[in-house]
This record gives sequence, C-alpha cells and structure tokens, in this order.
Amino acid sequence: MVGPQYDLVGNPLGAVRTTFEKAAAAAAAESGGRDPVAAFRSKDWGASEVFRSFLFDQGGIDKVPLLDASNLGLIKPNTLVRFRGMVQDMLGNEFYAGAFKDGSTWRTNKFTDFSPFAMPHPCDSHLWERHLFHCVPVPGQNSWTLESTPGPDLRQMSNCMSPEQREKRKRDGDDDVMDVSENGNGESSSSKKPKEDGIQISSNSAEMPATEAVPEMNGNDHHIPGSSFSCLVKIYDMPESQVKLNDVAEFIGVYTFDPELAAPNDNSDDIMFDLIEDVTAQLPPSKVPRLHCLLLRKLSSQDFLAKQPVEPLPSLLKGIRQSLLSHLTQLLGNDDLAAQCLLLHLLSRLRTRVDVVTVGRLSLNFTGFNRESASIFGNQLNTLIQRLVPYSQAIPLSIEYLNTTALQPRKDNKSGRLVTGVLQLPQGTHLTFDETIMQSGSLTSKGVENTVLLKNLMESLMVEYDFEYYKLEMATDVQMLTLSEGKSNILPSDLVVPFRPSTVPAVTATPEELESWRWYLATVRSLPQSNEPEILQTIQDEMVNAMREDRSLGCSELSRWLTMAQITASSFGEKSLSMEHWQMVKELERLRKQRIQ
Amino acid sequence: MAPGAKTVDYAGERALAKDFLTNFAGPHGEPKYQNILQDIANRKIRAVQIELDDLFHYKDVDEEFLQRVTENTKRYIGIFAEAVDELMPEPTEAFTVDEDRDILMTQRVDEGADGGSDGTDPLQRMPPEIKRFFEVYIKAFSKVTPLTLRQVKASNIGQLVKISGIVTRCSDVKPLMQVAVYTCEECGFEIYQEVTARVFMPLFECPSQRCKLNKAKGNLILQLRASKFLKFQEVKLQELAEHVPKGHIPRSLTAHLRGELTRKVAPGDVVEMSGVFLPMPYHGFRAMRAGLVADTYLEAMSITHFKKKYEEYELKGDEQEQIDRLAEDGDIYSKLSKSLAPEIFGHEDVKKALLLLLVGAPHRKLADGMKIRGDLHICLMGDPGVAKSQLLKHIINVAPRGVYTTGRGSSGVGLTAAVQKDPITNEFVLEGGALVLADMGICAIDEFDKMEESDRTAIHEVMEQQTVSIAKAGITTSLNARTAVIAAANPAWGRYDMRRTPAENINLPPALLSRFDLLWLILDRADMETDLEMARHVVHVHQNLESPALGFTALEPSVLRAYISAARRVTPSVPRDLEEYIATAYSSIRQEEAKSNAPHSYTTIRTLLSIVRISIALARLRFSETVAQSDVDEALRLMQMSKYSLYSDDRQRSGLDAISDIYSILRDEAARTSSMDVKFAHALNLISRKGYSEAQLKECLEEYASLNVWQIHQSTFDIHFIDA
Repeated sequence: MVGPQYDLVGNPLGAVRTTFEKAAAAAAAESGGRDPVAAFRSKDWGASEVFRSFLFDQGGIDKVPLLDASNLGLIKPNTLVRFRGMVQDMLGNEFYAGAFKDGSTWRTNKFTDFSPFAMPHPCDSHLWERHLFHCVPVPGQNSWTLESTPGPDLRQMSNCMSPEQREKRKRDGDDDVMDVSENGNGESSSSKKPKEDGIQISSNSAEMPATEAVPEMNGNDHHIPGSSFSCLVKIYDMPESQVKLNDVAEFIGVYTFDPELAAPNDNSDDIMFDLIEDVTAQLPPSKVPRLHCLLLRKLSSQDFLAKQPVEPLPSLLKGIRQSLLSHLTQLLGNDDLAAQCLLLHLLSRLRTRVDVVTVGRLSLNFTGFNRESASIFGNQLNTLIQRLVPYSQAIPLSIEYLNTTALQPRKDNKSGRLVTGVLQLPQGTHLTFDETIMQSGSLTSKGVENTVLLKNLMESLMVEYDFEYYKLEMATDVQMLTLSEGKSNILPSDLVVPFRPSTVPAVTATPEELESWRWYLATVRSLPQSNEPEILQTIQDEMVNAMREDRSLGCSELSRWLTMAQITASSFGEKSLSMEHWQMVKELERLRKQRIQ
Repeated sequence: MAPGAKTVDYAGERALAKDFLTNFAGPHGEPKYQNILQDIANRKIRAVQIELDDLFHYKDVDEEFLQRVTENTKRYIGIFAEAVDELMPEPTEAFTVDEDRDILMTQRVDEGADGGSDGTDPLQRMPPEIKRFFEVYIKAFSKVTPLTLRQVKASNIGQLVKISGIVTRCSDVKPLMQVAVYTCEECGFEIYQEVTARVFMPLFECPSQRCKLNKAKGNLILQLRASKFLKFQEVKLQELAEHVPKGHIPRSLTAHLRGELTRKVAPGDVVEMSGVFLPMPYHGFRAMRAGLVADTYLEAMSITHFKKKYEEYELKGDEQEQIDRLAEDGDIYSKLSKSLAPEIFGHEDVKKALLLLLVGAPHRKLADGMKIRGDLHICLMGDPGVAKSQLLKHIINVAPRGVYTTGRGSSGVGLTAAVQKDPITNEFVLEGGALVLADMGICAIDEFDKMEESDRTAIHEVMEQQTVSIAKAGITTSLNARTAVIAAANPAWGRYDMRRTPAENINLPPALLSRFDLLWLILDRADMETDLEMARHVVHVHQNLESPALGFTALEPSVLRAYISAARRVTPSVPRDLEEYIATAYSSIRQEEAKSNAPHSYTTIRTLLSIVRISIALARLRFSETVAQSDVDEALRLMQMSKYSLYSDDRQRSGLDAISDIYSILRDEAARTSSMDVKFAHALNLISRKGYSEAQLKECLEEYASLNVWQIHQSTFDIHFIDA
C-alpha cells in the first residue's frame, strides 16, 4: 500500500508507476521471472485502489480541479483532474504498448500518452487496449448544477503552458481566456522533446494550420451554444457494459498534454491515408484535452444537490410537496388541476420497458395556449423547470425549426464520428415543446423525418440514430411537456390537459425553496415502489368496469392511470399505493375529462 | 517436433506444407492444390487459397500445426508461398510471353547464370516475391461463427480472425509497391528492395560491392517497370446492427485488400471477411507515437458476401439438430406461429397465416412458360393501435431478406423502381424500389391504403406476375420482384365503422384485394374476457416491471429462420386423390357465395390457387413431400377464419347460433354421404373449416345428444344419427 507520500493530485503517474513496479516485482518473484506482466492485461494492479481510497475515503476529491473550457491550459499536464460530461461518441479502442521491458525492469505506459522513458527498440512489450470516449458538457445542463461542484482555485495552480500551445490557440481563433495566464515558461516542456534522429518532419509542418478541419468538427459540433469544449476520455480495464452512450459521469484521471503530439500531422503522406483517418487527429489536443481515466462515477440528479442526503420521511416530503404544488398552482394562474398534473409529470420517470411498452413515463400536453399566454406562462414555466431539474431544453416547434434542425444524431462515415443531433440527450432530460408558434406550411423531407423522430420519441422513448447503412434505436428517458393550442398531433402526449388560468402568474421562489424542491424531485423519483396485491386486485376490477362503461379505453389509458396513481403515492413519500391515492387519480381524471368536453 | 517446444522448425513446417500441397485430395479425389498450381503456372489464376478446412482434414496435419497457422498467419503465408515456389510445375499450355516482366525475368535469369560476382549481397539477390505470379491466401474455417468487430481484441493481433460487418467506405484501388527495383548508374547492377509497409524510404546510394570498393556512391534510379506492384484497396467495416450492444454505437475497423481481393466489395455490402489482424507500422512523424499507440487493420484473406436468401442459408452448428428435434416434437405449426412476435397477445390465426407467408410455396413454371407464383400475400386491416406495424416489423426481422416500407415511402424511388440521373456520369440509371429490393424475400408495406395511385397500379403487376416493368426515359425493362407482400392498412375512415359494410370499410379495389391470399381484419372488439386480460396485463407489468410469463418458451428468431429455411427446401406435391377434394371444396365455396344475396367475397380462380399454396406451405412445415388432406382442411379453415374476421357480424345476424349452425353442417354432411355416421375427426374438420372451435362442437354434440337426435360414442365421440 502506498501511503500519502505521493502527491496524488500533482503527480498521479508517479503513484501509478510505483505501484506497477512493485506489483511487477512481486509477480516476477512469484512466477520465477517468466513473464510477470502478462497477467496485468486489462487488470488493475492496485493503482486505482490507491486513488479510490485517497479520493473517496480521505476526501481528496475536493482537491482535484474540475476541468472545463475556462481552465483548460491553466492546468498542468500529468496532473489529476476531474471532468463531468456526457459520453457523446465512442471512438472504439486504441491499442498501446501497455508495458515494456527496459533492461531488466518492466515499465508501464498505462494512463499516459507519452512514455517518460525512452523505449528501447526492439524490446519486449505488451499491447494493451483502452477505450476512447468523446465526452461533452451535458447538453441542456442547467446552471444551478454547476454551483454545487466547486473545485480548488486554479489560478494558483497554473504555471505551465508551452509556447506552441499558446501560439496555436491564437491561430485557432479561440477565445482569449488563455492570455490571462500567459506567464509562460515554455522551456520545461519543450526540453522534454525527444531528439530522435532520422525522423523527418517536413519543415513546414509546424506552420501548417490545423484549423481547416478543426472548427467545423468541433465548433458547430454541438447544439448548445458556447459548449464547443469537449474532452477525449481514455478508459482502461472496463467491462463493455459499464459506460453507455449518453451516460453522464464524472471522470477522474490524468490530464495529459504533449506539445509534440499537438503539432499538426505531417501531411505529406496523408494522401495514402485516405481511409485510415485518425479520429483523434480531428480532435487536436490543444482544444480537446486528453484525460486518462483512473476512476469514474456515474452522476444522477442527486449528485448535483448541494445538500447532504436526508432520510426521505413521508412527513417531510408531504410538506415540500405542498409548497411545491402551491407554487406551481400560482405559477399556472391558479389552475389547480394543471398544477397537479404538472407535478405528476415532473415526478415521472421511465421505470422500465416491457417489450414495446414503456412503464412510468407521463408526457404532458397543456392545451388552450395562444402565443401571448405561451410567452407569459411558458417563460415562467421554463425558468422554473430550469431551476428544478439538472438538464432541460425548450424547443420552439415551428415549421422552420422542423425543416432545418438536425434532430437526429447521425454517423459521419467520412470522419468516423457521431454527429450529434438535438435528440442526443442524457437520461432524465426535460424537454418543453412550444407548439403555439407553429403555422401552416409545408414540411420538407427533413421536416417529415424530424416529426417522425419526435413522434417515436413521444410514443416509445426511442431515438433512431442514423448509421448510414442502418439505423439503431437508442433508448432515452426524457420528460416531455408540450404547450399547444389544441391537442398536439405531432406530439401525442399521455396526458392532455386544457389549461384554464384565472390570474397572471406573479410568484418567485427563494433559493432555499428551490433547493428543497430539487431535493424533493430527485428523491421522489428515485423512491422504490412496491404494491400490495389486494389493492392491485381492486384497481384491476375497477379498470374492467370502467372499460365496460367506456369502450374507447385502451391499454394506454389503463397504464397511464396506474402510472399516475403510483407517482401520486410516491409524491407523498409512500412506497406502496393506497386506495386514497387511487381515488385522487380518479378524481383528477374526472375533472380533466370534464374540461375536455 | 516436440510438443510445446519453443522454437518451431520452419524447414519442417515447409516440408509439411509441401507435402500437403502435393498430396491433398479434393472431394472427388483430385489433387486439389496441384491443379491450382498448374493453373497458376499456366497463368490462368493468380490466387492460391489455402483453406483451413482442407488443412484440418489432411491426415498429416495435427492440431498444433493448425493452431500455429492461425496464430502466426503472416509467417505461414510466407512458408506456403515458399512451398509453392518449390512445387511450381512447368506450364502445360503455351501462353504468350509478351509482358515486360517476362522479358525482364529471362534477362535476370541469364544474368544470374553469369555467376554475378557478389551474389552474397542481400540487396542484389532477387527476392522471391518478384518472381511470383501468385498470391497466397489462407482462408479461415468456413464453419466457425464470425466474430463481431467488438470481439477482436489485442490478444488477436497476428492471428487469423473471421469477422462480419457492413462495408461503409471503400478507397480507390491503387498500386502498392511490393519490390522496388533500382539500377545503379555506376555499376549497372539491379538492386532490389522489398517493401513491407505502405511507405518506404527509397535507396539513393548503390550498396553493391563494386560501388563500395570504388567509393563511387553510384546513383540509383528506380525502375518502375521492373518493380513489382500489387493492387491495393482499403475498406472500412462497421459492426452489424444486431451485434451492437444496447446503448453502444457500432465499432469500425479498417481492412486492407490486396491483389485479387480488390474490387470485391462496395459500400453497403454485408460481408464475412477472414484475415490477419495486424498492427500498422508507423512511419515518419507518426513513428514518434508508435512506441505507445498502434493502429490496427485486418489484412484480408477471403471475402464472402453475406447470404440473404433462404435458399442459400447455411445451417450453423447445432441448428440442424434443433430443427430435427422440433420437427419430431409435433404441433410445430402452433409452436412456431406462437413464437412470431410473442409479445403480441393473441391473434393466433393471424400469426399462423404470417408463418405460412414466411414458408410460402414453390414457384411453378409450366411447360408453356406460364409462371404461377408461390409467394403468399396477406393483408392486415385494422383499427389503429392493434399492433399491425409491430407484427410487420417482427416478420421482417425473422425473414433473412425483408424490406419494411410504408405506402408513402419518403424516397423518390417509391415502391417499384425509378429511373434516376446519376449525378456524376449524368447517365440514367435504374434504381429499384422496396419491392425490387425484396426480390426473393418479403416486403412489408405499412399504410397500404395511403399509397400513391401510381404505386398501387404497379403493385398489381408485382403481386401476380412478380415483375416490375419500367418504361421511362428510354429505358424499357422488367425487373424481378419475386416477393411475398404483407400489407397493413387502416379502414377507410381511420377506424372500422360498424354501421357500414365491410366493402366500404376496406376501401381497396377488388382487383387488388383478390390478389391477397388472405385478408384479416383485426379489430379491438371488446368483450369481458379480453378486457380482464388487458387489465391484468397492465397491472402485472406495472407491478413486476416485466411482462407476464407467456406460458411457453418462444423460439429464438434465429431458430425460426433456420427452421423456415429448411422447410423451404421441400417441394411438396398434391396427390391425385386430393385434387378432387380441393375442387369440391372450391366449388362449394362458389356455390355458397352464389346463394347469399350479398356476396362479400370475391371467390375466383385465384382463391383456388390460394388454397393450394397454403396447403403446400403447411406440408412444407411438416417436411412432407406430399400434401395431406389435413393441410387442405387447415388451409380452408384459415380462409374461412379470415373471412369471418370480416363478416362475423353477419353470422350473428343470420339468426343461427353457433350450435345450430354446427348441427346443420353435420346434418348436411350425413345427408350428402347418405350415411348415419359421421366420424368425430371428420366432423371437427368440417366445422373448423367454417370457423368453429372444438369446444363448440362438443357443446353441440352434447346438446343434441340430450335431445336424442344422435348418439355419441363414449370414447371416440363418433356421431350416429338416430333415425327419426
């Protein structure tokens, strides 16, 4: 066990190497010096354990800076950083010489792009593999989630930036944030440059701007304005299923940057390489930092809460429910019915998929809006939702939007990358569609595709990704709220509620209230549910009776009732459904029906 | 060779390779590889493909040798190439020596005979590659299931792997230098340089002894005509959709095709490729990274296009065994049909019909050139939200070649075919639509009622003649579209309107309707039982977050596919004595129709063909060479059921309840055969043809037995009418 004598934040690779050499020596002693390292392929030799105990048990995580667009370049290479983002693309795996024999000792290149020791040539080496993920800041991430994740002040830690990097940044026309920190001492990094003779770098290669391909791949890459920042995360020893596309996670690992590798490629022979496009070449290290992930943890909405976890007692939840509901009611112009439905909608989540049926979702359609009321109530609603959920987006649904926007993520086989679309969303995103600005007009073929995509998302919570030769359906879990004049046909919601406000909204919420509501939403959504068979039997009988009275009832209505009843129970902090909740839902349905007629 | 010995005796390996090439006998006892070598010597072919299957079957080859070949393939290609060099026979046929290299070769051989002074210089010795007219490929086992791209790991480097994928990009075919040949200005020697990577550092100074001694630093001139080039193409493969785990995106891999393998694939092809998985040597600036990161590629050894027809479907592993077990099991008909879209509740008869559509009947071509289609066409009509589209999509998944499209397909090509202008060459090219793409497969057309008028007329031809005729932009041709059509349509007014007649609701012209063998109306009719079932299902799903147990284990789609493809190989015939039976059945349907005052159905000669087709499909399911009477009865029952799905209201209106209707059927039958006895099995056949169930028959038997109309045999349930 390596003690804290290592500066795990400042020199994580030191710890990695020490643990490796120790483990290799131990293995060599055991195996009689045959090939001690072979056993370490896609296995941890104890390095991540050191970091795990440092970060999580000793609270070291607060000392680790959070990498983002503003401090990229301030952070010293080969130090420990954190990055929070969504897996936007999976670039496959990369083979690297994981371990090699330098004389009589084995050395490792794990968690780094650049070996500090010259590799003898030829030598015994092992090819290992690692996964490359292209990660971006979470689309639609709301600002409150950022406040809760403070990192140490970086200005004090900054000192190392190579001149090449600075120069390139300027050429790239990147923002000038970097210039603040130009107290450069570039010598240290450039002196590391390996002087190998016989390698021919065409003399003009350094001047060759890498900009041509870069901005379009990187800048317009993502639909969230100002989020051109992304990170190439390299993940080791991970079972295939652990991280999925669109997962939001915090990656803790070694930030590497090497000016040599950052230099543009020698293009002289690239004519030959017309298909072996190196995906990483489109993501220059100067703009897209490399992070060698030591540990990762997936983030759920609870991880963004500032508060320490509290036991979700029903009495506590009830009180918060009441305050949130009354706030919603006021916000919706004293429309109590709409407020109740909105609460249920906000608490809904996809519990599971059974064959083709999705269980637990509750999309909501407020009808009766016109342009004016949509701008009054809609804006208020959006602001509130932004403050309550971690990720949310408002989408103006107009003919023009449908005809021009790329909703569908698609694979660009030329560049080998997944080009994102608006509908590439992390699990748990809230979407608000404003259909009141829709006017009559004709849809282009792209518009038709987009509406089909939206309808599919609404009906089965699936988004089709286009891989040119075939399409793959990706499961998503999003909450969808539609504001429209009449019942929306483009977006067939589960619950249609005619909106009847009686006043103009004039409410504000205090930060404390907001905080408690966030906690409430996150907690209630994650409450487990289990129901008594007796109550279900009663409900089942009532359903059969209801179906006999109303022939138009179908599977989807029954399913919706149950979903609403279960969410109602959870909203009071109850784990199981009671008759009372069922009655509440029935009453809600009765009132809603009245309005529709 | 001692097993487990670290050093491999490569000379011994070469001897073994030679032995194999000389002595291996093909399936007909012919010396397979000798023949190939002779063809190469005669310059007929350029590829020696060594199949691991053959190596495996060769008596002198042990498993260790095979393993060495698969794990160090590149090396063994060299060994086999050397063996071929040594074994190369003299050409037996004359071929014209007109190529430059032949002339060069003769010259070189002459020079070599001169006893070139410094033959020890490796750069002056002629590398064997330059003499070779052939390429050696080692083909992986054909029976091994190919790996997905995801399964190719670092441990596979250097090994022979077989993968499957879809080609997404292809580069142009370019020459790749294999041996660079230089001549020296000073000494005049030919200098050879073998090129193993894609990029090489040219030589500038003559390395020959003479130049070195003279310190002449002879200038080398690259001789392009004398150098050896290989055709070279790069392709990019992407993982197939079915191999991508949930929540991941497809991986891709680069493959290098050389020599004879180039130009074999185009983007969009689904292929199986065997090849050696290799790291790419870096050069130039990239070499700086080389120590740490390696790009990898697959050096292709063989390419097989994926089979998309039933007829070419190869059974894998234990599939034959599984099929045999299923076939023995009995009741395969309902077991298979239940396994179609198991998540969709009920609709047993519809699923049975869809199963028969998958199986189909063989095409018949009569002596006079008339063709009779074997494909079954089915139309599903129904209210929105009765899982029609789900059924369609599931069927497409089971079929090896299936195209799903909607009546309002967004592409300009539409359903049939279109003539389009190629953007590059400006030539008119013919582009097939969904129906043409589904040739020899199944085409599912959703929203059939919303189809363009032009497509609808074209579909008439497709459904009966099974061709698509095109006369546009000077192109007059006819494309094959031998496809089974499964259509889904909504009723005319969106929902089925009970107040209108079925014909009004269906809203498709009779000419089109008559082309469908079966037409099903799926309504979400409500009754207590289904209501309860639905409520129970919803509650169960919400409570347990899984669907209720099906009560049977559904067969995997792959098993279904294998079974169906096996069944499709059978070509059953209709025995003579059944012909009469079918004819009678047909005429009775016609008569019934004539009797009723409002004929709903259009029973034509097409109906007769449908009966035969469905019967044959049923016989195929049993792997039977002849159609049995039970097949015909089941075919008639299905047709009746499909009609009843449309006209079930009539039945109730006609005043006869099920029980009395069954009675009258049995009475008629007894009168027709003028006997007092009706066998139970026969009775069951009769009534099921009319769409009644066994339970209803039993009820009828009991009721009338209590009225002393007939006697029922205690154990066999045979009926004996009591004389009145």
